[in-house]
Amino acid sequence: MLSAFALLLISNQELSLLDNAQVVYMLAGTVTAAGAVIAVILGADAFAGERERGTLVPLLIAPISSSALVNGKALGLVSAWGLMYLLSLPYLWAVGAGGQNLVQAILYLALFGTPVVLGFGYLAMALSARSGSVLTSLLTSLIVLLFTASPLLLGPGLRNSTIGKALDAVNPFSGALNTYDAVIIDSDPFLAQLPRFALVLTWLAVTFLAARRSARRPRFR
Amino acid sequence: MLVNANHLKLTLDGRSILQDVSVHIERGEIYGLLGPNGAGKSTTIAVLLGLYEPDAGEVRLFDQARGHPVELRGRIGVMPERAGFYEWMNASDYLAWYASFYGGLQQPVADLLHLVGLGDAGGRPIGQFSRGMQQRLALARALVDGPELLILDEPTNGLDPRGRREIHDLLLRLAAERNVGILLCTHLLDDVERLCSRIGIIDGGRTRLEASLQELAAVHSAGRRFRLRLERPPADPASLPAGVTLTNEGQGWWQCVIAPDNSRPLPILWEDLLVGHDWEIAEIHATGGGLEALYLQMTTGSESELKEEAVLARPPRLPAKSEGPCCRTSAGSVGCWRSAPCSRPSPCC
Repeated sequence: MLSAFALLLISNQELSLLDNAQVVYMLAGTVTAAGAVIAVILGADAFAGERERGTLVPLLIAPISSSALVNGKALGLVSAWGLMYLLSLPYLWAVGAGGQNLVQAILYLALFGTPVVLGFGYLAMALSARSGSVLTSLLTSLIVLLFTASPLLLGPGLRNSTIGKALDAVNPFSGALNTYDAVIIDSDPFLAQLPRFALVLTWLAVTFLAARRSARRPRFR
Repeated sequence: MLVNANHLKLTLDGRSILQDVSVHIERGEIYGLLGPNGAGKSTTIAVLLGLYEPDAGEVRLFDQARGHPVELRGRIGVMPERAGFYEWMNASDYLAWYASFYGGLQQPVADLLHLVGLGDAGGRPIGQFSRGMQQRLALARALVDGPELLILDEPTNGLDPRGRREIHDLLLRLAAERNVGILLCTHLLDDVERLCSRIGIIDGGRTRLEASLQELAAVHSAGRRFRLRLERPPADPASLPAGVTLTNEGQGWWQCVIAPDNSRPLPILWEDLLVGHDWEIAEIHATGGGLEALYLQMTTGSESELKEEAVLARPPRLPAKSEGPCCRTSAGSVGCWRSAPCSRPSPCC
């Protein structure tokens, strides 16, 4: 997917005319979105998948706390996101080398992308622990992901409306993308990103607590 | 006391699953938890393990309130009904991995596998195991940390007779030598009779009976007990077929005991009473006689067996006018048949 996107950015007549920083911003956003989708898939499988395969009960009857169980599952999310991040580096370099703020893009992808991606993983995990099947938790989490991405699909006009701004203010996904925009394209300083950083960290904390709470008494039959 | 659970109640998704369940297990005791499908056995186990919080009632494990289920689970070995292995792992690696939750293996994996009869299968992927081998491995997993309490849900499912015997012997050894308390959840009454010192029968989310098998055996050793309702008192109650004794009479019900050494089939006996001794039997209730009969007596979800019992108990020749339906059992009875249409309320209908 990254190869196809990078190739498109370089070879497509219209996309290749984009500013170098714009291309890096788009790729960073794509990596974050792809990471969130992967996290949702893994999170949705975390409990419901184990339950469907019959392997959840042996975990629940072992002396493992719900936090440890969630942390173990989160390790899988972190590994997958880490791999995704590492894989994206050569692509970012390929489309952004020689342009501005490539290093910032790589750093902010880690700083903002990680909590956003893990948050979606935790959310899917929370739903997975309580829902009846992988499919239910997966679809519900994907709908939430699509909903959070919807302001971006609405276009700049609607995003600048009051509702659009309000959604942006509480939407971790647009928080990350707006930061990429501000840092990579506009070269804004980190201090200006603090409110958005607080937003993505809050998203991570809330979803982690939800996952831990659900994992305390997961549906196991 | 290892398990002291009293009057547990649990409602799930608006359905009352447990209404009044009590389980008591001492160290070194093998406790048979019996009940029909859906009676609440597995849910009771889940409550004991802290997977469900009961709406009412009290659970004490190892003489402690179950405040920290994670710590207590470290002292319990559980063999769930569905083993739930990662089938791509081999048995040795799986046990070593699972033991890591308990802080490591107490004994070498090979010894553990040998203990359950899987001595040479440690290197094979679990996916290649037969059902019986998976049962053995599940037992090995339950024993991974030398538990003080073992909870086994249908442990001998899928095992051949030799395998069953080996597992029986192992459980008896664990209880006797290591003083392990064992909660055995099974449908196999043979297993219960061979292994258990005490039983609890659950039906409809309620504990119907908790007693030691020794006590029950003493009660039933005198023979099979029946209650007969007669249309009119017998002309000569003292004249009875051999091996049949009347023990009590009241409100039209005559209680009799069939001696254990009586080899005559029940239908022949009833026919003898009906035809040979002119007893006009309206209903027959079996009220005891072995664990199976007791189980049937205590559980209401086994109508087919009850009817079978009723049919077996039915005399071969009855007056045509008296053919009637097999009736639903009343509490405390095993089954009955009617020789006359139900024309008035009775405990049977």
